[in-house]
Amino acid sequence: MDGEQRIRAYVQAAGALPQRLRQEALSLPREEQARGEEFRLRAGRPMSVVLPEGERTLGRVSVSTRELEQLVEIASRASLHAVLDQVRRGYLTMAGGHRIGLCGTACMRDGAIHSLSRFSSADVRIARQLRGAADPVRGALCPGGKLASTLILAPPGAGKTTLLRDLIRQVSDGAGCQPLRVSLADERGEVAALYGGVPQLDVGGRTDVVEGCPKAQGLILLLRAMNPQVLAADEITAPEDVTALRTAAGCGVTLLATAHGESREDLERRSLYRPLLEEHIVRKLVRIREKGGQRFYTVEELG
Amino acid sequence: MMRLLGAALVAAGAAWLGFRAAGTLRLRARALEEMAQGLALLEQELEWDGPPLPRLMEELEGRCRGPARALFRDCRRALDELERESLSDAWEELVGARGELGREGQAALLPLGDTLGRCGCEEQRRAAARVRTRLEELARRTEEEQRRQGKVYQVLGLSGGAFLIILLL
Repeated sequence: MDGEQRIRAYVQAAGALPQRLRQEALSLPREEQARGEEFRLRAGRPMSVVLPEGERTLGRVSVSTRELEQLVEIASRASLHAVLDQVRRGYLTMAGGHRIGLCGTACMRDGAIHSLSRFSSADVRIARQLRGAADPVRGALCPGGKLASTLILAPPGAGKTTLLRDLIRQVSDGAGCQPLRVSLADERGEVAALYGGVPQLDVGGRTDVVEGCPKAQGLILLLRAMNPQVLAADEITAPEDVTALRTAAGCGVTLLATAHGESREDLERRSLYRPLLEEHIVRKLVRIREKGGQRFYTVEELG
Repeated sequence: MMRLLGAALVAAGAAWLGFRAAGTLRLRARALEEMAQGLALLEQELEWDGPPLPRLMEELEGRCRGPARALFRDCRRALDELERESLSDAWEELVGARGELGREGQAALLPLGDTLGRCGCEEQRRAAARVRTRLEELARRTEEEQRRQGKVYQVLGLSGGAFLIILLL
Protein backbone atom coordinates (compact mmCIF):
# COMPACT_ATOMS: atom_id res chain seq x y z
CA MET A 1 0.00 0.00 0.00
CA ASP A 2 1.59 3.28 -1.06
CA GLY A 3 1.52 6.57 0.84
CA GLU A 4 -1.42 7.99 -1.09
CA GLN A 5 -3.52 4.88 -0.50
CA ARG A 6 -2.63 4.97 3.18
CA ILE A 7 -3.72 8.60 3.40
CA ARG A 8 -6.96 7.78 1.58
CA ALA A 9 -7.66 5.01 4.07
CA TYR A 10 -6.93 7.40 6.95
CA VAL A 11 -9.29 10.03 5.56
CA GLN A 12 -11.99 7.44 4.91
CA ALA A 13 -11.74 6.11 8.47
CA ALA A 14 -11.86 9.69 9.79
CA GLY A 15 -15.17 9.99 7.94
CA ALA A 16 -16.81 8.05 10.77
CA LEU A 17 -15.88 10.73 13.28
CA PRO A 18 -18.26 13.53 14.22
CA GLN A 19 -17.41 16.83 12.55
CA ARG A 20 -15.25 18.35 15.30
CA LEU A 21 -13.18 15.21 15.80
CA ARG A 22 -12.89 14.71 12.06
CA GLN A 23 -11.38 18.18 11.70
CA GLU A 24 -8.88 17.33 14.44
CA ALA A 25 -7.97 14.07 12.71
CA LEU A 26 -7.51 15.79 9.37
CA SER A 27 -5.33 18.49 10.93
CA LEU A 28 -2.56 15.90 11.26
CA PRO A 29 0.18 16.40 8.61
CA ARG A 30 -0.21 14.13 5.58
CA GLU A 31 2.97 12.18 6.24
CA GLU A 32 1.65 11.41 9.73
CA GLN A 33 -1.74 10.47 8.32
CA ALA A 34 -0.02 7.84 6.19
CA ARG A 35 1.39 6.29 9.37
CA GLY A 36 -1.80 6.48 11.44
CA GLU A 37 -3.12 3.12 12.62
CA GLU A 38 -6.05 3.94 14.90
CA PHE A 39 -8.08 6.73 16.44
CA ARG A 40 -8.67 6.37 20.15
CA LEU A 41 -11.69 8.07 21.68
CA ARG A 42 -12.22 8.05 25.43
CA ALA A 43 -15.03 10.00 27.08
CA GLY A 44 -13.59 12.88 29.07
CA ARG A 45 -10.21 12.78 27.29
CA PRO A 46 -9.03 14.34 24.04
CA MET A 47 -8.95 12.04 21.02
CA SER A 48 -5.61 10.50 20.10
CA VAL A 49 -4.16 8.85 17.02
CA VAL A 50 -2.07 5.71 17.26
CA LEU A 51 1.16 5.88 15.28
CA PRO A 52 3.80 3.12 15.09
CA GLU A 53 5.74 4.81 17.91
CA GLY A 54 2.68 5.20 20.17
CA GLU A 55 -0.40 7.34 20.87
CA ARG A 56 -0.45 11.05 20.12
CA THR A 57 -3.13 13.37 21.47
CA LEU A 58 -5.03 15.41 18.90
CA GLY A 59 -6.54 18.69 20.07
CA ARG A 60 -7.40 19.70 23.60
CA VAL A 61 -11.13 19.33 23.84
CA SER A 62 -12.35 16.15 25.50
CA VAL A 63 -14.48 13.64 23.68
CA SER A 64 -18.06 13.70 24.95
CA THR A 65 -20.36 10.71 25.33
CA ARG A 66 -22.64 12.35 22.77
CA GLU A 67 -19.77 12.30 20.26
CA LEU A 68 -19.24 8.60 20.96
CA GLU A 69 -22.93 8.01 20.26
CA GLN A 70 -22.63 10.05 17.10
CA LEU A 71 -19.64 7.97 16.00
CA VAL A 72 -21.75 4.82 16.26
CA GLU A 73 -24.62 6.55 14.51
CA ILE A 74 -22.43 7.64 11.59
CA ALA A 75 -20.70 4.27 11.26
CA SER A 76 -23.98 2.37 11.36
CA ARG A 77 -25.77 5.00 9.25
CA ALA A 78 -28.23 5.37 12.11
CA SER A 79 -29.11 1.70 11.85
CA LEU A 80 -27.99 0.20 15.12
CA HIS A 81 -30.64 -2.51 14.78
CA ALA A 82 -28.95 -3.74 11.59
CA VAL A 83 -25.54 -4.09 13.27
CA LEU A 84 -26.63 -5.05 16.77
CA ASP A 85 -25.02 -8.50 16.48
CA GLN A 86 -21.69 -6.85 15.81
CA VAL A 87 -22.14 -4.31 18.60
CA ARG A 88 -22.89 -7.17 21.01
CA ARG A 89 -19.50 -8.57 20.08
CA GLY A 90 -17.97 -5.15 20.75
CA TYR A 91 -17.16 -3.93 17.28
CA LEU A 92 -18.67 -2.43 14.17
CA THR A 93 -17.41 -2.72 10.60
CA MET A 94 -17.82 0.35 8.45
CA ALA A 95 -17.47 1.04 4.74
CA GLY A 96 -13.87 0.54 3.69
CA GLY A 97 -13.41 -2.29 6.19
CA HIS A 98 -12.40 0.00 9.06
CA ARG A 99 -13.44 -1.40 12.42
CA ILE A 100 -14.75 0.42 15.41
CA GLY A 101 -14.16 -1.28 18.74
CA LEU A 102 -16.59 -0.19 21.42
CA CYS A 103 -16.67 -0.08 25.21
CA GLY A 104 -19.55 0.96 27.39
CA THR A 105 -22.19 -0.38 29.72
CA ALA A 106 -23.26 -3.87 28.75
CA CYS A 107 -26.91 -4.78 29.03
CA MET A 108 -27.16 -8.48 29.92
CA ARG A 109 -30.03 -10.75 28.98
CA ASP A 110 -30.10 -14.49 29.71
CA GLY A 111 -26.45 -14.39 30.72
CA ALA A 112 -25.26 -12.92 27.42
CA ILE A 113 -24.53 -9.37 26.29
CA HIS A 114 -27.74 -8.08 24.72
CA SER A 115 -26.46 -4.63 23.82
CA LEU A 116 -23.91 -1.99 24.67
CA SER A 117 -25.00 1.47 25.66
CA ARG A 118 -23.58 4.58 27.33
CA PHE A 119 -20.40 4.22 25.31
CA SER A 120 -17.26 5.12 27.25
CA SER A 121 -14.57 4.62 24.63
CA ALA A 122 -14.05 3.63 21.04
CA ASP A 123 -11.20 2.68 18.82
CA VAL A 124 -11.38 3.28 15.07
CA ARG A 125 -8.90 0.92 13.41
CA ILE A 126 -7.82 1.99 9.96
CA ALA A 127 -8.06 -0.91 7.53
CA ARG A 128 -5.04 -1.29 5.33
CA GLN A 129 -4.63 -4.16 3.00
CA LEU A 130 -1.09 -5.31 2.34
CA ARG A 131 -1.27 -6.64 -1.20
CA GLY A 132 1.62 -8.92 -1.93
CA ALA A 133 2.08 -9.90 1.71
CA ALA A 134 1.90 -13.55 0.61
CA ASP A 135 4.41 -13.18 -2.24
CA PRO A 136 7.40 -14.44 -0.21
CA VAL A 137 5.63 -17.70 0.71
CA ARG A 138 3.32 -18.39 -2.22
CA GLY A 139 5.80 -20.44 -4.21
CA ALA A 140 6.58 -22.70 -1.26
CA LEU A 141 2.90 -23.16 -0.40
CA CYS A 142 1.80 -23.98 -3.93
CA PRO A 143 3.96 -26.87 -5.09
CA GLY A 144 3.08 -27.58 -8.72
CA GLY A 145 0.95 -24.44 -8.72
CA LYS A 146 -1.70 -25.80 -6.33
CA LEU A 147 -2.12 -24.69 -2.75
CA ALA A 148 -1.31 -27.28 -0.08
CA SER A 149 -3.18 -27.28 3.25
CA THR A 150 -1.40 -24.67 5.35
CA LEU A 151 -1.35 -23.44 8.91
CA ILE A 152 0.03 -19.98 9.61
CA LEU A 153 1.59 -19.77 13.04
CA ALA A 154 2.64 -16.59 14.83
CA PRO A 155 2.20 -14.68 18.08
CA PRO A 156 -0.57 -12.05 18.27
CA GLY A 157 0.07 -8.94 16.18
CA ALA A 158 2.67 -10.56 13.94
CA GLY A 159 0.54 -10.35 10.78
CA LYS A 160 -1.24 -13.71 10.56
CA THR A 161 -4.52 -12.22 9.37
CA THR A 162 -2.76 -10.00 6.82
CA LEU A 163 -0.91 -12.99 5.37
CA LEU A 164 -4.04 -15.16 5.41
CA ARG A 165 -6.07 -12.47 3.60
CA ASP A 166 -3.48 -12.05 0.88
CA LEU A 167 -3.04 -15.80 0.45
CA ILE A 168 -6.81 -16.17 0.06
CA ARG A 169 -6.82 -13.35 -2.50
CA GLN A 170 -3.97 -14.81 -4.52
CA VAL A 171 -5.33 -18.36 -4.49
CA SER A 172 -8.82 -17.15 -5.31
CA ASP A 173 -7.60 -15.01 -8.20
CA GLY A 174 -5.03 -17.56 -9.33
CA ALA A 175 -2.13 -15.16 -8.90
CA GLY A 176 0.90 -17.34 -9.56
CA CYS A 177 -1.02 -20.49 -8.78
CA GLN A 178 -4.08 -22.43 -9.87
CA PRO A 179 -7.26 -20.40 -9.15
CA LEU A 180 -9.46 -22.15 -6.60
CA ARG A 181 -12.88 -21.57 -5.06
CA VAL A 182 -12.24 -20.36 -1.51
CA SER A 183 -14.77 -20.33 1.30
CA LEU A 184 -13.89 -18.21 4.30
CA ALA A 185 -15.35 -18.56 7.79
CA ASP A 186 -14.73 -15.02 9.01
CA GLU A 187 -16.16 -15.19 12.52
CA ARG A 188 -15.20 -11.67 13.59
CA GLY A 189 -15.22 -10.10 10.16
CA GLU A 190 -11.53 -9.27 10.34
CA VAL A 191 -10.38 -10.95 7.15
CA ALA A 192 -12.91 -9.81 4.55
CA ALA A 193 -14.68 -7.07 6.57
CA LEU A 194 -18.11 -7.55 4.99
CA TYR A 195 -20.15 -4.35 4.79
CA GLY A 196 -23.58 -4.55 3.24
CA GLY A 197 -22.64 -8.04 2.03
CA VAL A 198 -19.59 -6.81 0.11
CA PRO A 199 -16.04 -7.61 1.28
CA GLN A 200 -14.34 -4.31 1.98
CA LEU A 201 -10.93 -5.93 1.82
CA ASP A 202 -9.99 -7.82 -1.33
CA VAL A 203 -10.25 -11.55 -0.75
CA GLY A 204 -10.37 -12.46 -4.42
CA GLY A 205 -13.02 -13.04 -7.01
CA ARG A 206 -13.72 -16.69 -6.19
CA THR A 207 -14.16 -16.27 -2.46
CA ASP A 208 -17.39 -16.82 -0.52
CA VAL A 209 -17.58 -15.45 3.00
CA VAL A 210 -19.69 -16.31 6.00
CA GLU A 211 -19.27 -14.09 9.05
CA GLY A 212 -20.74 -13.56 12.46
CA CYS A 213 -21.09 -17.21 13.42
CA PRO A 214 -18.68 -19.45 15.32
CA LYS A 215 -15.92 -20.75 13.02
CA ALA A 216 -16.81 -24.41 13.41
CA GLN A 217 -20.41 -23.80 12.37
CA GLY A 218 -19.32 -21.47 9.58
CA LEU A 219 -16.87 -24.03 8.20
CA ILE A 220 -19.48 -26.78 8.13
CA LEU A 221 -22.06 -24.45 6.58
CA LEU A 222 -19.60 -23.48 3.85
CA LEU A 223 -18.63 -27.08 3.27
CA ARG A 224 -22.26 -28.06 2.75
CA ALA A 225 -23.46 -24.99 0.92
CA MET A 226 -20.64 -23.62 -1.21
CA ASN A 227 -18.73 -26.64 -2.49
CA PRO A 228 -15.36 -25.10 -1.68
CA GLN A 229 -11.98 -26.20 -2.98
CA VAL A 230 -10.26 -24.30 -0.17
CA LEU A 231 -11.66 -23.64 3.30
CA ALA A 232 -10.11 -20.78 5.25
CA ALA A 233 -10.45 -19.62 8.84
CA ASP A 234 -8.60 -17.22 11.08
CA GLU A 235 -7.44 -18.20 14.57
CA ILE A 236 -8.21 -21.82 15.26
CA THR A 237 -8.67 -21.85 19.02
CA ALA A 238 -11.36 -24.40 19.94
CA PRO A 239 -11.68 -28.18 19.65
CA GLU A 240 -14.83 -27.69 17.53
CA ASP A 241 -12.78 -25.70 15.02
CA VAL A 242 -10.30 -28.56 14.70
CA THR A 243 -13.13 -31.08 14.36
CA ALA A 244 -14.62 -29.00 11.54
CA LEU A 245 -11.25 -28.80 9.79
CA ARG A 246 -10.84 -32.59 10.08
CA THR A 247 -14.29 -33.08 8.57
CA ALA A 248 -13.40 -30.75 5.70
CA ALA A 249 -10.08 -32.47 5.11
CA GLY A 250 -11.98 -35.76 4.92
CA CYS A 251 -13.99 -34.27 2.07
CA GLY A 252 -10.81 -33.50 0.12
CA VAL A 253 -10.87 -29.76 0.73
CA THR A 254 -7.60 -27.84 1.06
CA LEU A 255 -7.32 -25.95 4.35
CA LEU A 256 -5.91 -22.55 5.12
CA ALA A 257 -5.91 -21.45 8.75
CA THR A 258 -4.01 -19.50 11.38
CA ALA A 259 -3.15 -20.20 15.00
CA HIS A 260 -1.38 -18.45 17.87
CA GLY A 261 2.01 -19.97 18.58
CA GLU A 262 5.76 -19.72 18.15
CA SER A 263 6.99 -22.98 16.67
CA ARG A 264 6.16 -26.47 15.47
CA GLU A 265 7.19 -27.85 18.88
CA ASP A 266 4.78 -25.40 20.45
CA LEU A 267 2.01 -26.89 18.30
CA GLU A 268 3.00 -30.47 19.05
CA ARG A 269 2.82 -29.78 22.77
CA ARG A 270 -0.79 -28.56 22.56
CA SER A 271 -3.36 -31.32 22.37
CA LEU A 272 -5.72 -29.07 20.41
CA TYR A 273 -3.48 -28.93 17.35
CA ARG A 274 -1.92 -32.38 17.58
CA PRO A 275 -4.54 -34.09 15.39
CA LEU A 276 -3.85 -31.61 12.59
CA LEU A 277 -0.19 -32.65 12.60
CA GLU A 278 -0.56 -36.35 13.37
CA GLU A 279 -3.24 -36.93 10.77
CA HIS A 280 -1.30 -34.86 8.22
CA ILE A 281 -4.29 -32.60 7.78
CA VAL A 282 -1.98 -29.62 7.27
CA ARG A 283 1.00 -30.05 4.99
CA LYS A 284 2.76 -26.73 5.37
CA LEU A 285 3.50 -24.56 8.34
CA VAL A 286 4.27 -20.87 7.91
CA ARG A 287 5.93 -19.14 10.84
CA ILE A 288 6.14 -15.36 11.04
CA ARG A 289 8.80 -13.58 13.02
CA GLU A 290 9.17 -9.85 13.38
CA LYS A 291 12.58 -8.24 13.69
CA GLY A 292 13.39 -4.56 13.43
CA GLY A 293 9.95 -3.75 12.09
CA GLN A 294 10.32 -6.34 9.31
CA ARG A 295 8.51 -9.63 8.94
CA PHE A 296 10.32 -12.86 8.16
CA TYR A 297 8.52 -15.96 6.96
CA THR A 298 9.63 -19.57 7.31
CA VAL A 299 7.80 -22.38 5.54
CA GLU A 300 8.10 -25.87 6.99
CA GLU A 301 7.01 -29.12 5.42
CA LEU A 302 4.86 -31.21 7.76
CA GLY A 303 4.95 -34.95 7.38
CA MET B 1 -73.95 48.90 -7.91
CA MET B 2 -70.48 49.34 -6.40
CA ARG B 3 -71.88 48.96 -2.89
CA LEU B 4 -73.60 45.77 -3.92
CA LEU B 5 -70.44 44.40 -5.44
CA GLY B 6 -68.38 45.34 -2.36
CA ALA B 7 -70.92 43.76 -0.04
CA ALA B 8 -70.93 40.57 -2.12
CA LEU B 9 -67.14 40.41 -1.96
CA VAL B 10 -67.07 40.90 1.81
CA ALA B 11 -69.74 38.25 2.26
CA ALA B 12 -67.86 35.83 0.02
CA GLY B 13 -64.66 36.52 2.01
CA ALA B 14 -66.36 35.79 5.32
CA ALA B 15 -67.90 32.60 3.96
CA TRP B 16 -64.49 31.55 2.59
CA LEU B 17 -62.93 32.05 6.01
CA GLY B 18 -65.55 29.78 7.56
CA PHE B 19 -65.06 27.08 4.92
CA ARG B 20 -61.29 27.38 5.22
CA ALA B 21 -61.39 26.84 8.99
CA ALA B 22 -63.50 23.74 8.43
CA GLY B 23 -61.18 22.58 5.61
CA THR B 24 -58.07 22.96 7.78
CA LEU B 25 -59.50 20.52 10.30
CA ARG B 26 -60.38 18.05 7.54
CA LEU B 27 -56.88 18.24 6.04
CA ARG B 28 -55.24 17.86 9.45
CA ALA B 29 -57.28 14.78 10.21
CA ARG B 30 -56.24 13.29 6.87
CA ALA B 31 -52.57 14.21 7.42
CA LEU B 32 -52.60 12.59 10.86
CA GLU B 33 -54.18 9.45 9.41
CA GLU B 34 -51.59 9.25 6.64
CA MET B 35 -48.79 9.72 9.14
CA ALA B 36 -50.22 6.98 11.34
CA GLN B 37 -50.46 4.68 8.29
CA GLY B 38 -46.81 5.46 7.50
CA LEU B 39 -45.80 4.50 11.01
CA ALA B 40 -47.80 1.28 10.73
CA LEU B 41 -45.70 0.41 7.67
CA LEU B 42 -42.54 1.32 9.58
CA GLU B 43 -43.57 -1.03 12.37
CA GLN B 44 -44.27 -3.78 9.86
CA GLU B 45 -40.86 -3.42 8.22
CA LEU B 46 -39.10 -3.39 11.57
CA GLU B 47 -40.95 -6.52 12.60
CA TRP B 48 -40.34 -8.47 9.41
CA ASP B 49 -36.97 -7.42 8.18
CA GLY B 50 -35.37 -4.52 10.03
CA PRO B 51 -33.31 -3.18 7.11
CA PRO B 52 -30.80 -0.35 7.61
CA LEU B 53 -32.54 2.98 8.03
CA PRO B 54 -31.54 4.50 4.64
CA ARG B 55 -33.11 1.53 2.84
CA LEU B 56 -36.11 1.54 5.14
CA MET B 57 -36.73 5.25 4.58
CA GLU B 58 -36.41 4.85 0.82
CA GLU B 59 -38.90 2.01 0.81
CA LEU B 60 -41.38 3.85 3.02
CA GLU B 61 -41.06 6.98 0.92
CA GLY B 62 -42.26 4.98 -2.03
CA ARG B 63 -45.17 3.41 -0.18
CA CYS B 64 -46.51 6.31 1.88
CA ARG B 65 -48.57 9.38 1.12
CA GLY B 66 -48.80 12.96 2.35
CA PRO B 67 -46.71 14.05 5.33
CA ALA B 68 -45.39 10.53 5.96
CA ARG B 69 -43.90 10.40 2.49
CA ALA B 70 -42.31 13.84 2.91
CA LEU B 71 -40.98 13.05 6.37
CA PHE B 72 -39.42 9.74 5.34
CA ARG B 73 -37.91 11.36 2.24
CA ASP B 74 -36.35 14.18 4.27
CA CYS B 75 -35.17 11.69 6.88
CA ARG B 76 -33.41 9.65 4.18
CA ARG B 77 -31.64 12.82 3.05
CA ALA B 78 -30.65 13.67 6.62
CA LEU B 79 -29.00 10.26 6.91
CA ASP B 80 -26.42 11.44 4.37
CA GLU B 81 -25.34 14.23 6.69
CA LEU B 82 -25.01 12.49 10.01
CA GLU B 83 -21.51 13.81 10.65
CA ARG B 84 -22.99 17.32 10.66
CA GLU B 85 -26.17 16.67 12.59
CA SER B 86 -27.38 13.71 14.59
CA LEU B 87 -30.55 11.99 13.47
CA SER B 88 -32.46 12.98 16.61
CA ASP B 89 -31.64 16.68 16.00
CA ALA B 90 -32.51 16.35 12.32
CA TRP B 91 -35.76 14.56 13.22
CA GLU B 92 -36.78 17.47 15.45
CA GLU B 93 -36.26 19.90 12.57
CA LEU B 94 -38.01 17.68 10.04
CA VAL B 95 -41.02 17.15 12.27
CA GLY B 96 -41.11 20.91 12.92
CA ALA B 97 -41.45 21.46 9.18
CA ARG B 98 -44.57 19.27 8.94
CA GLY B 99 -47.03 21.98 9.98
CA GLU B 100 -49.95 20.09 8.41
CA LEU B 101 -49.89 17.71 11.40
CA GLY B 102 -50.64 20.50 13.86
CA ARG B 103 -48.77 21.17 17.11
CA GLU B 104 -50.11 18.11 18.89
CA GLY B 105 -49.29 15.83 15.98
CA GLN B 106 -45.76 17.20 15.82
CA ALA B 107 -45.33 16.81 19.57
CA ALA B 108 -46.52 13.20 19.33
CA LEU B 109 -43.94 12.43 16.62
CA LEU B 110 -40.94 14.02 18.33
CA PRO B 111 -40.04 11.22 20.80
CA LEU B 112 -39.55 8.79 17.92
CA GLY B 113 -36.35 10.67 17.03
CA ASP B 114 -34.74 9.45 20.25
CA THR B 115 -35.33 5.81 19.34
CA LEU B 116 -35.15 5.63 15.57
CA GLY B 117 -31.99 3.81 14.50
CA ARG B 118 -30.60 3.86 18.02
CA CYS B 119 -31.71 0.54 19.45
CA GLY B 120 -32.98 -2.90 18.49
CA CYS B 121 -35.86 -3.43 16.06
CA GLU B 122 -38.32 -4.39 18.78
CA GLU B 123 -37.73 -1.25 20.85
CA GLN B 124 -38.05 0.91 17.75
CA ARG B 125 -41.20 -0.92 16.71
CA ARG B 126 -42.76 -0.39 20.16
CA ALA B 127 -41.84 3.31 20.08
CA ALA B 128 -43.38 3.66 16.60
CA ALA B 129 -46.52 1.85 17.80
CA ARG B 130 -46.89 4.25 20.73
CA VAL B 131 -46.58 7.25 18.44
CA ARG B 132 -48.99 5.71 15.91
CA THR B 133 -51.61 5.10 18.63
CA ARG B 134 -51.31 8.72 19.72
CA LEU B 135 -51.61 9.97 16.12
CA GLU B 136 -54.67 7.78 15.51
CA GLU B 137 -56.26 9.23 18.63
CA LEU B 138 -55.50 12.73 17.43
CA ALA B 139 -56.84 11.95 13.96
CA ARG B 140 -60.11 10.63 15.49
CA ARG B 141 -60.42 13.66 17.73
CA THR B 142 -59.71 16.04 14.84
CA GLU B 143 -62.29 14.28 12.69
CA GLU B 144 -64.90 14.57 15.44
CA GLU B 145 -63.97 18.20 15.89
CA GLN B 146 -64.22 18.70 12.16
CA ARG B 147 -67.69 17.10 12.12
CA ARG B 148 -68.81 19.16 15.08
CA GLN B 149 -67.04 22.44 14.47
CA GLY B 150 -66.69 22.29 10.70
CA LYS B 151 -70.35 22.96 10.13
CA VAL B 152 -70.32 25.65 12.81
CA TYR B 153 -67.42 27.38 11.04
CA GLN B 154 -69.18 27.16 7.71
CA VAL B 155 -72.46 28.49 9.12
CA LEU B 156 -70.60 31.22 11.01
CA GLY B 157 -68.80 32.23 7.80
CA LEU B 158 -72.01 32.32 5.79
CA SER B 159 -74.08 34.08 8.46
CA GLY B 160 -71.23 36.53 9.16
CA GLY B 161 -71.20 37.33 5.45
CA ALA B 162 -74.97 37.75 5.39
CA PHE B 163 -74.80 40.00 8.46
CA LEU B 164 -72.17 42.16 6.81
CA ILE B 165 -74.32 42.49 3.67
CA ILE B 166 -77.26 43.62 5.78
CA LEU B 167 -75.03 46.03 7.63
CA LEU B 168 -73.47 47.46 4.49
CA LEU B 169 -76.63 47.76 2.48
